[in-house]
Amino acid sequence: MKKFVLITALALAPALASAETFEDVFEMNRGMYGPGHTFTWEGKEYTTDHEEEREAAVDATQANAESLIAKAKAKNKEVAALGFEWKLTRDILKQAETAVQEGEYREALTLAAQAKYHARMGIRQHAYSQSHWHLSVPE
Amino acid sequence: MALGLAVVAQTAAAAGSGFDIKTVSPEVDRAALQKYFQTRFPQSEVSDYVNGIYAVDASSREQWEELEEFPPYEFAVEEGEALFNMPFANGKGYEDCFENGGIGIRQNYPYWSKEEGMVKTLEMEINECREDNGEKPLKWGKGQLAKISAYMAWTSRDKVIEVEIPEDDPRALKAYLAGKQFFYTKRGQLNLSCANCHVQGSNVRIRADLPSPQLGHTTHFPVFRSKWGELGTLHRRYKGCHKDSRSRPDSMQSEAFRNLEYFQAYMSNGLVINGPGARK
Repeated sequence: MKKFVLITALALAPALASAETFEDVFEMNRGMYGPGHTFTWEGKEYTTDHEEEREAAVDATQANAESLIAKAKAKNKEVAALGFEWKLTRDILKQAETAVQEGEYREALTLAAQAKYHARMGIRQHAYSQSHWHLSVPE
Repeated sequence: MALGLAVVAQTAAAAGSGFDIKTVSPEVDRAALQKYFQTRFPQSEVSDYVNGIYAVDASSREQWEELEEFPPYEFAVEEGEALFNMPFANGKGYEDCFENGGIGIRQNYPYWSKEEGMVKTLEMEINECREDNGEKPLKWGKGQLAKISAYMAWTSRDKVIEVEIPEDDPRALKAYLAGKQFFYTKRGQLNLSCANCHVQGSNVRIRADLPSPQLGHTTHFPVFRSKWGELGTLHRRYKGCHKDSRSRPDSMQSEAFRNLEYFQAYMSNGLVINGPGARK
């Protein structure tokens, strides 16, 4: 019996190990080290920066700021259509536009990145909810 | 491995019992919800859930009972009665739009309209009545509409809720399921579902507040909320709750909120109307 359990455990070990997704590893490292940290997953190196933080790490110009604001608006439109828009996103976008008007392009890039992140997370939340909402229904 | 298998088993069991249009059973849902709360709060009678958090928290109940000695909604009900009886410019009135002259009918709402293919709420029909008679619609959340609705609830006190989901129109069950899914779905920046606070989190402190159990939620609206300092409709509360999860909230009387009300009202079937209510 012990032998059977051992063999089963060994056979399932790789499958269980690979059950840890890139997202799990990313979130764990992000949570522990914050942005700007490097980690390895399946032999490759990655940073803990969010996609939007990488997009905002460009020259602080009006064109770059407006481009990221446009991307954030498009993403927010997408999440709104799903009914999962977050509360603060539109205000953050307005603040980003104000920052552009005031010539504060770095600030505008940071805010646009934040808004786009909100929208992307809302989309992810929607996808997750479709297959998990039932888990809290009393039975 | 055991954990993995348990998760798979839980998901498989759940997926086969009422989460899609083929398997959903409102009666099974209602029984399961009642059982859940009876297990959580064995000292509370099911019929008492019309009183919200006061059914399960003794000290809150004490304060509320004192408040009810001079109910803060009393004047609003009187104003609602006057508004209800005030004829429209064309000489007709609300009594011409509703069954039984609009008296003692709150328990039948919301209902599924086969003709319109949608869930109809009492507030929606109050405004439709106005528009059909050449009057402007009222604002959904508070003010005159809430007062008229409160008066209509008052005339329906102790009537047993009997929300129906007609079997001969599958769209009704679909609307119910959409409402159920909305209730149990996490959303917003805080990743909260209605159920997180009003099922699993009921009577568990969120700072100084104790969320009410979802069973009986719709029986006592409109409510006079001390926080508002006035009367508000159920959909005003939905909007506030939705916003509290840091979501951009739906509009009052949106399809999503009407379906949510349909689901919640069905869960309260068998309980009585006791609106308007007073809440913290």
